[in-house]
Amino acid sequence: MYKYILRRLLLLIPVILGVTFIIFTMMYFTPGDPARIILGEQASETDVQRLRAEMGLDDPFFIQFGRYIKDVAVNQDLGRSYRSNRSVTGELVARFPTTLKLAGLGVLVAVAMGIPIGIISATKQYSFFDNFSMVLALVGVSMPNFWQGMMLILAFSVYLGWFPSSGFSTWKHMVLPALTIGTSTAAVITRMTRSSMLEVVRQDYIRTARAKGQVESKVINRHALKNALIPILTVVGLQFGYLLGGAVLTETIFSIPGLGNLMVQSIRTRDFPMVQGGVLFIAVTFSFVNLIVDILYAYVDPRIRSQYK
Amino acid sequence: MNQKKKYILLSLMLVLALMVTACGGSEPAPAPAEPSEPGAEAPVVDAPQTDETLIVAQGADPVSLDPHATNDQPSSRVMAQIYERLIVQNEEMELEPGLAESWEVIDERTYEFKLKQGVLFHNGEEFKASDVEFTLLRALESSHIGHIVGQIDPETIDVIDDYTIRISTKEPFGPILAHLAHTASSILNEKAVTDGGEDYGQNPVGTGPFKYDSWTTGDRVELVRYDEYHGTPAKVSRVIMRNVPENANRSIEVETGGAHIAYDIDPNDVSRVEGNPDLKMIRSPNFSTTYVGFNAAKAPFDDVRVRQAINYAVNMDAIVNAVYMGTGAPSKGPLGPNVWASNQNLEPYGYDLEKAKELMAEAGYADGFSTTIWTNENQQRINIAEILQNQLREIGINADAQVLEWGAYLDGTAAGEHQMFILGWVTVTGDPDYGLYALFHSSQHGEAGNRTFYTNPRVDELLDIGKVSTDPAEREAAYLEAQELIRNDAPWIFTWTGEDLTATANNVVGFRNHPAGHHKLFNVSFE
Repeated sequence: MYKYILRRLLLLIPVILGVTFIIFTMMYFTPGDPARIILGEQASETDVQRLRAEMGLDDPFFIQFGRYIKDVAVNQDLGRSYRSNRSVTGELVARFPTTLKLAGLGVLVAVAMGIPIGIISATKQYSFFDNFSMVLALVGVSMPNFWQGMMLILAFSVYLGWFPSSGFSTWKHMVLPALTIGTSTAAVITRMTRSSMLEVVRQDYIRTARAKGQVESKVINRHALKNALIPILTVVGLQFGYLLGGAVLTETIFSIPGLGNLMVQSIRTRDFPMVQGGVLFIAVTFSFVNLIVDILYAYVDPRIRSQYK
Repeated sequence: MNQKKKYILLSLMLVLALMVTACGGSEPAPAPAEPSEPGAEAPVVDAPQTDETLIVAQGADPVSLDPHATNDQPSSRVMAQIYERLIVQNEEMELEPGLAESWEVIDERTYEFKLKQGVLFHNGEEFKASDVEFTLLRALESSHIGHIVGQIDPETIDVIDDYTIRISTKEPFGPILAHLAHTASSILNEKAVTDGGEDYGQNPVGTGPFKYDSWTTGDRVELVRYDEYHGTPAKVSRVIMRNVPENANRSIEVETGGAHIAYDIDPNDVSRVEGNPDLKMIRSPNFSTTYVGFNAAKAPFDDVRVRQAINYAVNMDAIVNAVYMGTGAPSKGPLGPNVWASNQNLEPYGYDLEKAKELMAEAGYADGFSTTIWTNENQQRINIAEILQNQLREIGINADAQVLEWGAYLDGTAAGEHQMFILGWVTVTGDPDYGLYALFHSSQHGEAGNRTFYTNPRVDELLDIGKVSTDPAEREAAYLEAQELIRNDAPWIFTWTGEDLTATANNVVGFRNHPAGHHKLFNVSFE
């Protein structure tokens, strides 16, 4: 098992290199001169040239790329923002807890809603509850986050005044964004739980469990759910990893200072070091979440565990 | 079994970590007043609880609080509370003493400033002439604010004693005092800058009525009252500048008590704020202008009659009402109404289709022509382009609206590849030199600012007089005439001048919009 984890961690190195190269190349060839964008349309050409030179933008592609790789690999330095001159690492570290909270709460809401509803739907297939919750899940998947966010703001901030509409400092600020993210993620989880459970409850061993007189709740929770859990875990892990990259729309609507907001703003202002550092950070986080999900597979399923031995 | 336990432990730790990060760590915001009762008809702004803390919502986080590292409005709005300049422009754009008690003209290039004594920086250092010298020399190194301070001659800054300094410009430069009053000319302390190093932008030190307290990046900057301030102390003890990028949310925040003041209210929300008895809407013209430019170096726009015809063919009131929801005003000429020496006696072109058709026929385009209107990804400008498309069809012009990426847009218009284009300009110093020279002088073609490639030797001459003269009367006369010539030559469709739209809670008193956009918060208090 430890060998496996080590191998996975070593595999991160080519991933990081690849991601760095791709994002660096993409940013390099994106139209728009960062110096001009930073200084605005009112700055003189001399000033733009001077800033370009200061930022090292006049150097050829491979020199710039080599310099970046050296900074990242040798000095463990992601550089400083073109725009604000802040340390990229510092900025990412400052923003990450907010995104982690948002993603964590969102997934918590989603799991708390999605798995129970999915199980009940599967055990009572084609019942009113099943049909109703599947329609609800379809609405949840289809409803755009930004619209749902705005509706929640209208209802709970403007009319009822229960929760603030923007910011992310107290628990009250977190309720609406977590609900916005949670409900749409819950819809995905519900559907996955239901279909995975439906497949499992038709298996022979479930019939056997019932035949030997096992209590129904135990049949479902011990025998069926545990076997149905692998695809559900995959979906939850993917959603969590995806949310860690920043829930851009939700962060924008609720003015949450997370990674998503930072990335959008940095791309818009051609803040290359920030974009590169951010994408790298997100790629690594995503890889870690995947690794944790893989480890959890082993916990849930002894067959997978045995493969690692 | 042992392994199984390990996994359970691992999962438990993960869940726990998630819960801890999710629920702990954040301090309660001092900010929002308790929301109104559930079911209440209108949200009540319940400000007295936060009497001493003023919360302001603006549309972006500052970039840096080092005046030499950026020149964006959200940063300036915070820096204007922390730093001071030698000279201050009040809300009427009159020059007032700031850190300089008085000043006099020594010759056409040189001014002497007598500095205030007994002023302390927020780090306890005393303000002296050497700080001014240090600041200006450092400012001249910056590529961000070259257009504000670039005229100052670094060789001839002369510290006469601790409280007297002479500053010269490279060439005679009439508007120098307005440039010294710009937030980019804020006075810094050498020790603070050296101590701050690369992170000075997050540790600013000034002499102003508020000092920097903390910055949660992307979320808020907090300032506290500076008790050793040399002037009238600020009324509130703490200011929180919140970053609320969504336009609609800023109105909602001020409606629901999450902020006491919200800047840049969306034109869509103005009527709602004005109709809310708990809020005040504070409106005043600012220095921004939007224009549709012609490439006057290219046919058919090299013919003044075509440019005039298009000005006559455009119903600007309809555009302002549709695009800006009636905020701001149609432009009369190249400068907004509150820029110094703005010629408000200019006759607007007005909507006159017959005259437009006549001029088109005279120019040999009775049947019209095809052209393109470029704009960047700015929704209001795109809307203007689409309305123009419709209106120009009336005089036979078939205009194709094209939306370009910002960088490509600036490069293309600088290289003269365009025909018609839509851009904005902000006369940040409030002086006509800033609002006219770069845009209309023939030495500034292309990237420098004159993207219409407009040339008129008489206008050049007048703009030169305005730039070098230190005699206000002479400058004013030159600018009034230049504006009239530009209006007649019509290198632009004179489109729109902007308006500052600020919403405040009813109990906020002492707030005024500053035309340059960085509104003072030290006079603000609660009723």
